[in-house]
Amino acid sequence: MERSLFGFIWRYSKRQQIVILALTVCSFPILYMTLELPKWIVNDAISGSDFPKMVMGMELGQIQYLVALCIGFLALVVANNGVKYVLNIYKGVAGERMLRRLRYMLYNSILRFRLPRFRRVSGGELIPMITAEVEDVGVFIGEAIATPAFQGGTLLVYMVFIFAQDVFLGAAAIALFPLQAYIIPLMQKKVIRLSRERIINVRAISERINETVSAAPDILANDTSRYHLADLSDRLFLNYRIRLAIFKRKFMIKFLNNFMNQLPPFFFYSIGGYLVIRGDLSFGALVAVLAAYKDLASPWKELLTWYQTLAGVNVKYETVVENFDVDDAIPAERLAGGADAVVDLPDTTIALHSVSASAGGSGQEIIDVTLEVNPGDRLAIYGADGSGRTELVMAMAGLLSPIAGRSTLGGRRLDELTQQTIARYVSYVGSDPYLFNETIRSNIVYGLKTDPVNDDQDDLSGLRRAEAMLTGNSLHDVAANWEDHSRAGVDAAEALDERLLELVTLVGLEGDLYRLGLASYAFERDDPDFRDKILKARADVVRQVREDKSWKALVALWEPKTLNYSATIGENVLYGVPRAVGTPVWAAASDPNVIAALAKAGVDDRLVAMGADVAGTMIELFSDTGADASLIGDYSFLSAEEIPQFTERLRRHKAGEDLAKADRAAFIGLAFRLIPGRHRIVTLTPDDESRLVGARSVIHDALKDDANYALFDSGTVIPPLSIEENILFGKPRVDRRGASDKIDALLRDTTRALGLRDPIARAGLNFNVGIAGGRLSGGQRRRIGLIRAMIKTPQVLILDSVVDGDRPLLARVLEACGTTTVVTGTADPKVAEAMGTVAAMRDGRLVARGGWDSVRNIAVYGEDDDAREREAS
Amino acid sequence: MSIDTDAAALRKIPLFRGIEDQKLRLLAFMSERVRFDAGENLVEEGDFGDVAYIILSGQADVLIDSNSGEQLVATVKENDFVGEIALLIDVPRTATVRATSEVVALAVTKEHFFKLLSNFPDMALEVMRALAHRLERTTREFGRLRASVTNS
Repeated sequence: MERSLFGFIWRYSKRQQIVILALTVCSFPILYMTLELPKWIVNDAISGSDFPKMVMGMELGQIQYLVALCIGFLALVVANNGVKYVLNIYKGVAGERMLRRLRYMLYNSILRFRLPRFRRVSGGELIPMITAEVEDVGVFIGEAIATPAFQGGTLLVYMVFIFAQDVFLGAAAIALFPLQAYIIPLMQKKVIRLSRERIINVRAISERINETVSAAPDILANDTSRYHLADLSDRLFLNYRIRLAIFKRKFMIKFLNNFMNQLPPFFFYSIGGYLVIRGDLSFGALVAVLAAYKDLASPWKELLTWYQTLAGVNVKYETVVENFDVDDAIPAERLAGGADAVVDLPDTTIALHSVSASAGGSGQEIIDVTLEVNPGDRLAIYGADGSGRTELVMAMAGLLSPIAGRSTLGGRRLDELTQQTIARYVSYVGSDPYLFNETIRSNIVYGLKTDPVNDDQDDLSGLRRAEAMLTGNSLHDVAANWEDHSRAGVDAAEALDERLLELVTLVGLEGDLYRLGLASYAFERDDPDFRDKILKARADVVRQVREDKSWKALVALWEPKTLNYSATIGENVLYGVPRAVGTPVWAAASDPNVIAALAKAGVDDRLVAMGADVAGTMIELFSDTGADASLIGDYSFLSAEEIPQFTERLRRHKAGEDLAKADRAAFIGLAFRLIPGRHRIVTLTPDDESRLVGARSVIHDALKDDANYALFDSGTVIPPLSIEENILFGKPRVDRRGASDKIDALLRDTTRALGLRDPIARAGLNFNVGIAGGRLSGGQRRRIGLIRAMIKTPQVLILDSVVDGDRPLLARVLEACGTTTVVTGTADPKVAEAMGTVAAMRDGRLVARGGWDSVRNIAVYGEDDDAREREAS
Repeated sequence: MSIDTDAAALRKIPLFRGIEDQKLRLLAFMSERVRFDAGENLVEEGDFGDVAYIILSGQADVLIDSNSGEQLVATVKENDFVGEIALLIDVPRTATVRATSEVVALAVTKEHFFKLLSNFPDMALEVMRALAHRLERTTREFGRLRASVTNS
């Protein structure tokens, strides 16, 4: 990567720069003509004589000539602005392309960092570099060559003009240029140094924020928030100080600049005036020189501004690039991919010969380890944390490069094999595999997404491709099919799902997945078969609820003609829910369409009255008793802040005043939250019930085409409800304790009988795992990592403490692996015992190798029996 | 069925006797009204529970497990308080309570009860007073029993 900004600009945007320059030059004659033409109009057309004139073989009278010139002028104005428009767009395009290229290169550099580097740099520092810091570079690139060329050219022309008038005055006009050219860079240097400090300081702030996010539990637990506030405050102060220092210098430069620009006129008036009086200089020449100097000042100023911007951008570029251009980066060819990047290996023997490697810190190294793992071997690498276990496992997987010694896979040095080859043969799962903020399924098939499946067809096309070529970006289409099913040993997407579920069962995640599936909303994908099955399950459950007493006691079904006492009034009246998942039904009360439908159904007044009752009760129960905020927050329908507002609304309602639309909606919203079976605030008369139920059909008519609501219908799935709610088509009864748990047990039987367990587990695959898999437990994450590694059908499976504490899981994995080599790092003696051979690590050294019985003492206690006996004697 | 009737039921429980009306209504609002079929258990002996029930309608048997099977020790009916010790301390249920007809009860959970007590200290005082009364009565009865045992 180019270390200097101009190197970068010249190397990648020569052509664009030349085009910009050419366009700039093109605009000169047009600009000149727009200044010249008005003169012709005044002199020739308006106050001219000897008409008609011959223009391009046509005879024109005075008026015609005037019109022609004016049209010409208009055309030139359009042309001038047109060129400017094109030029500006082109500059923007050139700058943005370069910015894209730069960001891509920087990101690519991150991907090429060796792993130990990530212990020293953090996302908090890297993110602002790639996003914010280089932004100015893009803006500047369009100006990089054109501005100095254009302004420099203009300056030169004016200078020649002045010199032609009078050499002495010309010299006077530029007398201060050398001084400016000397002093300003000198001062600018200081500004550059300060800008650098500021960039580094802002990075440190960004890093602090990043740390705060990661360390949130520890900050709270240690009560160190004030310390962190002080720390950040200090950083911000430093930022202020630097900025102030920059300001002072920057404006000092401006001041000097302006001063020096005003100085020459002083000489012109004094010396020039003296010369004119003496008669050594004509008055006309002095005026001309003064005018020329005035013109001279503007390009000179532009040039200086350009220089200052350049200096600022340059320092940004350099401070960014030096962080990415590291000496020990992984060679690009090892990551490049491509058809010829995979080498067929004769076998998958992993051999380490006197390998030493370090992951950065002390206790994170291995020293002089020699070890060989033959195809089909089962090896445990036993060692406590800090014994070098993890590092040895990573070295075997080719993730940690040896400082000394040789590590080979199939006889080839791991350092020289492409990552594509290694990943094809070897799967690695660390102790805490990273999960992306996507679904479980995409986290698993992540392991198959190394290249687009159809390499040629799936590349980018059209504009995307052209732009990618122009900016040296990736030509692969991210939207293409990247899931290489053949690597999982299956030929179709359905078969892959089967395989996924097999592996899910293998690692013991099936129950979890089923529960996630039940709670998931899996109707975005239009799968009629699945919908049919859900509806069948629903019909089954509804039948059972009607027939079976134990079900009936648990579920309050949705029946079109009866009020559901276990559901909110809102759901009951709409007989539906808002379509956006997670929107509470009472949000519907602020929708004018709903309010209009309620009015049409004639239930709005009753709902307002109900809402008023609720508000009255809430105020009485929570406000008048002096309950504190926690009690109000947990139980009240109204928050502490809303209470005064509702007190006022209630007063107006009681006084019989006409309520504003918003007030009515607020009351209806309260009524909508009411679950009659639980909140016994409002007593519903049979008349109320029949009116509320009767309103359903009117509301359905009004809302049936409204995309914001999903209306209940026993014959269709309701997308905003979870699979479980869809199957149940009702609510767990609120007057039964523990109804939900019992329903779970009953549902399990129904879904199993209908063969729905698999489809539901499959829906669970679409569960979004949250940031870094935060919505799953550590054990679940490790298991998903394990599936991700096994789906590739590797020939060598390398694990690090993934199966610790779970011997049955290990046994299942070993059985499923067949002839695959399995190496697992572990601190669990039971896991070590279950593997064929054990390599014991201690203080970075391989201290013993053999069956568990023979290495146990040295592995666990750090010394073998012989040594102890020798010591005793 | 409204919180007023539930609050009225609460009022009849000695433990809540001295508590202001409004606060009882709040407790009633926070409590759930639950239903048990005949034969269903409200509480089971040996379980750890955090709920007490105030029976609003219906009847239930109080049974204790013994060597010779379950033994009926009492029956409870409307306005009786079942499992109230669970509101105050964590002990296993000392008996099983089984509905003999359909029972509707008000379920007061420990969480809600404690929240109210911490919110309204005067309520805690009232509860303490009620408990002290009960202790005093128990002690007196125990003394009388001991006297009758030594006399006989």
